[in-house]
Amino acid sequence: MRALARTCGAVVVAGVLAGQPVAAQDPTAGNAQGQLSVTIYNGGQALVQDIRQIAFPTGRSRQEFPDVSAQIRPQTVSFAADGTAIVEQNFDYDLLSPNALMQKAVGETVTLLRTNVATGAETRERAKVLAVNGGVVLQIGPRIEILRDDGMPVRVIFDKIPINLRAKPTLSITVDSKSAGTRAATLSYLTAGLGWAADYVSLYDEKAGTIDVQGWVTLTNTTGTTFDQARTLLVAGTPSGQPANSRYRPQPQGNLRRAGIETAPREQLGDYYLYPLAERTTIANAQTKQVSFLDVSGVPAQKIYEYAVSGFDTMTEPRSAASVIKFNTSAKGGGLGDALPAGTVRFYQRDLRGDPQFIGENSIGHTPMGSELGLATGEAFDVKVQSTVVKRERMSPRIWRTSMSYLLTNARAQPVKIDLVQRGLDWYWDDTRIITESQKSERLDSDGTKWRVAMPANGEVTITATFETRY
Amino acid sequence: MRGWLTLFLMLAASPAAAQSVVTSTAPDAVAVSVFRDPERSEGGEIERDWLNGFALISETRTIDLAAGESVIRFEGVAEGMIAVSAIVTGLPGGVVQKNRDAALLSPASLLDGSLGNRVHIRRTDRATGRVSEDEAIIRSGPQGAVVLQTAAGFESLRCTGLPESIIYNGVPAGLTAKPTLSVTTRSLAAQRVTVTLTYLSTGFDWASNYVARVAADGRTLDLFAWLTIANSNGESFADAQLAAIAGTLNTVSDFDSLADVPQAPPLRLTCFPLGTGRYGIPSPPPPPAPAAYLDNEGDNIVVTAQRRSAPMMESAMAVSVVAELENLGDLKLYRVPIPVTVVANGQKQVALLVKDGVPFKTIYRLRSSPGDTFESMEVERVLRMENKEAARLGVPLPSGQVAVFAPRGDESLLVGEGQVRDHAVGEKVDLVIGESSQVRVDIIEGVAPKMADGDYRVTVTNANPFAVDFELGFYVDSDPKLDKRLRKLPRRDGLLTWAIRVPANDSRSFDYRFVEPD
Repeated sequence: MRALARTCGAVVVAGVLAGQPVAAQDPTAGNAQGQLSVTIYNGGQALVQDIRQIAFPTGRSRQEFPDVSAQIRPQTVSFAADGTAIVEQNFDYDLLSPNALMQKAVGETVTLLRTNVATGAETRERAKVLAVNGGVVLQIGPRIEILRDDGMPVRVIFDKIPINLRAKPTLSITVDSKSAGTRAATLSYLTAGLGWAADYVSLYDEKAGTIDVQGWVTLTNTTGTTFDQARTLLVAGTPSGQPANSRYRPQPQGNLRRAGIETAPREQLGDYYLYPLAERTTIANAQTKQVSFLDVSGVPAQKIYEYAVSGFDTMTEPRSAASVIKFNTSAKGGGLGDALPAGTVRFYQRDLRGDPQFIGENSIGHTPMGSELGLATGEAFDVKVQSTVVKRERMSPRIWRTSMSYLLTNARAQPVKIDLVQRGLDWYWDDTRIITESQKSERLDSDGTKWRVAMPANGEVTITATFETRY
Repeated sequence: MRGWLTLFLMLAASPAAAQSVVTSTAPDAVAVSVFRDPERSEGGEIERDWLNGFALISETRTIDLAAGESVIRFEGVAEGMIAVSAIVTGLPGGVVQKNRDAALLSPASLLDGSLGNRVHIRRTDRATGRVSEDEAIIRSGPQGAVVLQTAAGFESLRCTGLPESIIYNGVPAGLTAKPTLSVTTRSLAAQRVTVTLTYLSTGFDWASNYVARVAADGRTLDLFAWLTIANSNGESFADAQLAAIAGTLNTVSDFDSLADVPQAPPLRLTCFPLGTGRYGIPSPPPPPAPAAYLDNEGDNIVVTAQRRSAPMMESAMAVSVVAELENLGDLKLYRVPIPVTVVANGQKQVALLVKDGVPFKTIYRLRSSPGDTFESMEVERVLRMENKEAARLGVPLPSGQVAVFAPRGDESLLVGEGQVRDHAVGEKVDLVIGESSQVRVDIIEGVAPKMADGDYRVTVTNANPFAVDFELGFYVDSDPKLDKRLRKLPRRDGLLTWAIRVPANDSRSFDYRFVEPD
């Protein structure tokens, strides 16, 4: 047994095994996080501040920071501790694996432990790693051999792990300290994988014409790291010119009907509203966490039906109008009275037994207080539109007249209101005129005009109009 | 099975406030409302392999709360639960926070969570069968491979050719078998409460399947519809209040990704290069085969009501339970009036509507532009009904598939199939159920000597021994310059339509002139 020389080393390792692993070498000896503050933005980005107690020796020392986010953006790290100055910051991602270990062992000596497949007897010898190129070439005494070329079992035992091979990417900072002692050190960095959005539960009471709204902030942690007992602040905004990497699909235009001009009674930072969580909370890896931030009852809301005819079209089948719930977020005159961070609004309505049923959802962007929102919940089964091009006439080489007829049907037992919009009036030539119409419309812009039509219960209304266009 | 289980555990993570953990394993009562696939085209069918609809599930659960702060863990929920939609009501102290934990226990997460911890490495001697266990510390992350620190030095797992395995001392904190919803609440006193957990879940769908049976006189039909509900979740819902919701809802979130169980990365072990390749590298253990799941999915369809095709052959349909219709805002809610069990990976059918003796007409229909020409063009067969009470119908008709049967002696034979869109009460219902090769259309242009360019002649021929009603709709805008013969045609479905009755074994013609405008 030539392993005698290694006995000393083995004893040392056994000593390590018996006690707790050495903290500086071991990134996961418990959680190394200190006092955490996490500020989360909408776009899946967060600012983490981690105040750790570090025992600095006098002079230059290298400090490792395990348990930072696995998706840390290392270029954004900043570090501050009293009486220290930064020499350099490193982010090392040379990861420990058998292959890396063997590559770094080129020129070094390792121990081979062979097991006899017939008897189970073990033999031990020292070998020098000559090269690792598609196979490991070893020198054992005077012989040159290829590792496990015969397929027989061999344990390769390395004496040490090279200092720069790590279990996980590791942030380290080398500092100069004026004096020895344990002091608070503040580490802050940006990380991806931590984001939030709002989820609203909105119970619509059709008879009363109100909604009850509960707002929940939804945090999503996909960083791979758990943030323990963090003071958490949510910022309603994406401080970046880049499009937000949101989990929501692009929202259809027109949910924000009128932007508000009121300021909500919430903390602000520049243009952003801040939503601090009341207590420290643990944000576990792969966790979705929801905390309530809004609970308002009896907000007046009205339902209206909307349909936009995209051009001068003849429909052979009637189409359903969108059912839209409108409410405002003003603090005055019975609005919701708050600014709403971007997210998904899910609408519920009680069935005949009184149980809430889901009736559709829509998304909102960051909505200032005092805004008017119109959120389509779906298509109405019973309210339909059928448009017909009754006549199309060429008045002169460049002027056309189109007579449209719109049949609006309501199979509901209540009278309803519908906003019928004719779009496509502005087809490069924007001097479209309405010559006649059966009901006065409101011209929205050069491209569209809108009729608000009151429809009787179980009834129908026909709207007609003649447009003069340059196409 | 139905009940509650209380565990009192001190959470290490929260030293300040003592929390008790209550696990609610199953609901006492459950209601399931199923929504159709919002993306499905009108009259489309359920994709049984991948259900794209969803459901709103409302569960009543009994929970024993301790005084102070409690964490309630909900188990036995649908696999497709969309946790961000979960609403918990009935807690006296309200909900402090809701969490969905999805860090799953897997070979890779076990290794990752044990990094730096002491484990045991077990080696079995192939020759003697002797098992040895040595202490080791895991030194590498789960990407790539395992490097262990043992008493001998540093070694790699499973690069030796020896049978060896890591034995862990415990499961790292925070790893769960399935994504789990929990809520934190506070209660002033220990008490038993009834809470309602309401959430959306993927893995459901429903469709309506109509069977129209034409009476012997050919003037009326008996309309019947099945409500077909499918559930691809691994959870069954026993004695549930079941409802299906018709209409089109707006959805903006990606339900599938919200409900997704995060894929546990497989643990793949790699080694330094071994040998010269002559014997190959000892292959890492194959990742767990997913084959075990395949057997359960889709095959196990349980149809608790009669299958659709079977009753078609019968002359009359006798059903004792028909879904009840109610209005839900702008949607239609069909409630199954008795408690039913929605089984895992199963499909269920109950009667949606029964309407007998509905008068109908058969129309032969073609739509074309006035500049088109055809040779012996087959035309659509359309069953036309009025969705009015006076016409013995007058109920909302949710979109679905239609099969039409006609009698032949004692039998019923399939004579057509088609789709129906959502029809409100009062609408005309046109069911396109196929094409006719007996009724055909020729449109010819400018055949000398009698016709000039731009002169068209439509001829419809009827090879049936009975008269047929034919409609030809023109896709054309009415223009003062349009041929008067076209301009004077009545409008049907928005189109200028030539409607004619063609006698048995006869033909009819219609002439017009049409020049394509510049």
